[in-house]
Amino acid sequence: MTTGMSSVALAAGTLRPTRTRFWREVNAVVAVAARDITITLKSPGTVVMSLVMPLLMMGMIGGNLMQNMAGGLGFNFGTFMLVGMLINMLFMMTTMGMVTLVDDSDGNYSAELLVAPVSRYSIVIGKIVGSSFMAMVSCLGVLVVGLAMGITLAAWQLLALLALAPLMCLSGGALAMIVMGAIKSNRVANIAVMLITMPQMFLSGVIIPIGNSSGVLLVLSRILPMTYCVDLGRAVVYAGSPEFGSVVLFNPAVSLLAIAALTAVCLVLGTFLYARSEKNR
Amino acid sequence: MVPVIEVEDLVKQYKKSPKPAVDGVSFSVAEGEFFAFLGPNGAGKTTTISILTTTLGKTSGTVRIAGYDIEEQDRQVREHIGVIAQRPSLDTSLTAEENIRIHACLYGLYGYRPSYQMMPADYRDRVEQLADVVGMRDSLFTKVGKLSGGMARKFEVVRSLVHTPHVLFLDEPTQGLDAVARHDLWDYLDRVRRDWGTTVFLTTHYIDEAESADTVCLINRGRIALCCPPEEMKLSLGADTLEDAYVDFLRKDGADHLDALQLGGTAA
Repeated sequence: MTTGMSSVALAAGTLRPTRTRFWREVNAVVAVAARDITITLKSPGTVVMSLVMPLLMMGMIGGNLMQNMAGGLGFNFGTFMLVGMLINMLFMMTTMGMVTLVDDSDGNYSAELLVAPVSRYSIVIGKIVGSSFMAMVSCLGVLVVGLAMGITLAAWQLLALLALAPLMCLSGGALAMIVMGAIKSNRVANIAVMLITMPQMFLSGVIIPIGNSSGVLLVLSRILPMTYCVDLGRAVVYAGSPEFGSVVLFNPAVSLLAIAALTAVCLVLGTFLYARSEKNR
Repeated sequence: MVPVIEVEDLVKQYKKSPKPAVDGVSFSVAEGEFFAFLGPNGAGKTTTISILTTTLGKTSGTVRIAGYDIEEQDRQVREHIGVIAQRPSLDTSLTAEENIRIHACLYGLYGYRPSYQMMPADYRDRVEQLADVVGMRDSLFTKVGKLSGGMARKFEVVRSLVHTPHVLFLDEPTQGLDAVARHDLWDYLDRVRRDWGTTVFLTTHYIDEAESADTVCLINRGRIALCCPPEEMKLSLGADTLEDAYVDFLRKDGADHLDALQLGGTAA
């Protein structure tokens, strides 16, 4: 103890925030996201895993399908799969990142977050933004694997998908919140991630076309936000091409509207469940 | 003195419990006061502190912190309190400074910058001075996971004081610390109270830590059993130390009789 305490102007109640409420909420989103990004960068294993995941998903599953089942589709399966896989990675990695919300409860960091004078939405959106960093790294992995498989996209197509990426991540994170919001155990959270991400990959048409789905599978595909995200992504990539009609299911405006509506519902409901599970015991 | 904490007839009934964890508790704490909230395990201390810090909903009753209602104005309440939870809540993957920086940003004091050097000079000065106060400047940039329990706890106190709270809630802050670490932490907390006028609300199982409190409040089975200055408690029970008085009180009256022997059920 070397310095006199009085020299630090910290008398009770002397330091108060001066900025607007909106600025403070945005700043909180940035701080929460920055924490998750910092943790990711300090954990090389996590970064490596985000790069290896595309190798498994795209290289092995996708590669096998391309070699054995892609004939007679009437469109280039490689591009179809690459777009689907890019959006799948955004969803999957953001969802996996949202498990840190449960980690925070386990490690008691949630005690710090929940007494902070910021909206719960800022905490949740900050978490989604932080998680989407790892998702973007994974997308880089998908592009590299795609390149190795001889599948490429034009620069404008990549830029268009990049512009849509934040919306896709928000949508994936919001969906994850519905489940994560109410879970307290890390183990359960990890199982829940598998239950969310794996069926989505097949139901949303990431690597298998779903134009002929019917019955329960059709209903499930239509209530999953990723279906519309994948379709919007393909609508952008295939815009103006003759393959558009056989690849894209919905009008892009319908997809955009569906994504916005489903994301808003999931975000509100998930955040409500998160706040309620912490406070109402 | 102006009350900075006002609790009236507070009740908390957990969903799966047949009895209320907190049952009609009332007390008030004046600004700058050192208030010790003591009781055996399961008495209702942590439940009460969780409600006061807005992390747990109450069943009924009224609670005002720094003049703000904890339900209607929970954001304002959070701006005016600092909390040291029972379990350490620093992020062990980050450095102490990174933890403090995120805290300062969550409280809207500074805009977030990705490195310490990029933060405003005012922030850097404050953090360095605070780290100096606890003699931890050299550990400021050490990953929390590599610090001892006592060192991490000190940084936790530093973090909770960065936004100059009116009330500092300490929920068993020295649990798991060795004697030297406990002594150091209390040395620091005493100076915080003395020099900055911060109101301290303490729960602890180390009764000697409440010896210098202005008011000691004893809770058992969710009800206030006694609420008075420690000297008064010692005198009334003929004990030399607060710990003796506390143990005597619980033994003499027995847990089963405490309800009937409430001396200050609505002590102020």
